[in-house]
Amino acid sequence: MPPTPDNDLYELVRAAIDPAAIVKHIRAGQAGAIVTFDGFVRNESHGRATKHLEYEAYEPMALAKMREIGARIREKFAIHRVAMVHRLGRLEIGETSVFIAVSAPHRAAAFDACRFAIDTLKRIVPIWKKEYFQDGSVWAEGDIPPAAQEAKPAS
Amino acid sequence: MPSVSSSIRVKVLFFGRVREITGLTEEEGEVREGTTLADLLERYMRRYPQLAGFRASLVASRNQEFAEWDTRISNGDEIAFLPPVSGG
Repeated sequence: MPPTPDNDLYELVRAAIDPAAIVKHIRAGQAGAIVTFDGFVRNESHGRATKHLEYEAYEPMALAKMREIGARIREKFAIHRVAMVHRLGRLEIGETSVFIAVSAPHRAAAFDACRFAIDTLKRIVPIWKKEYFQDGSVWAEGDIPPAAQEAKPAS
Repeated sequence: MPSVSSSIRVKVLFFGRVREITGLTEEEGEVREGTTLADLLERYMRRYPQLAGFRASLVASRNQEFAEWDTRISNGDEIAFLPPVSGG
């Protein structure tokens, strides 16, 4: 896996995510474009009113996979910096669960990289969400990560 | 009889639905040399029959990397049986 620059940001946090601080972190003169993805807790799931969510992670593996996604982004797209932050623990409706920001010299790479980052995160990063309703709770259906070989970065 | 050196130590981690079914977050144990990830899961399914219903949805990891079920366990490995992921 190619090294990712020190100023990229990969974090699992238990406190509220501060999108403005993350954007500031990746903003730089040589960029010129930033695209962000703010994923936050929806108030319903399959027509049932959600009370709150609980996230848990296989933390060291999740961080390794987030860094791996960052490395794949750098191979595929001409970007400047990337930040991926996921929150764990109990989250209330409207709170940000994941925030991704990519800066790049030009907008197309920033859009493409940000989309790739969230899509791949949802597919391969070992994080689990439990949805709590008025009358019970369920583990979100989720994605089965692809076979071991496919889940590795394209070398 | 295989010698004592054929016994290898393994740490198993449990997450999400698998954690809830087993009531375990982490367990250390010993397996015989040649034991695969599939064999180890089989052992847990005997202990926790409810796991069998989710067998097809689980993927294995070895030392924090996705791994094929026929991977043999090495001494000191950290193994997990991961339910479908649902971050984001």
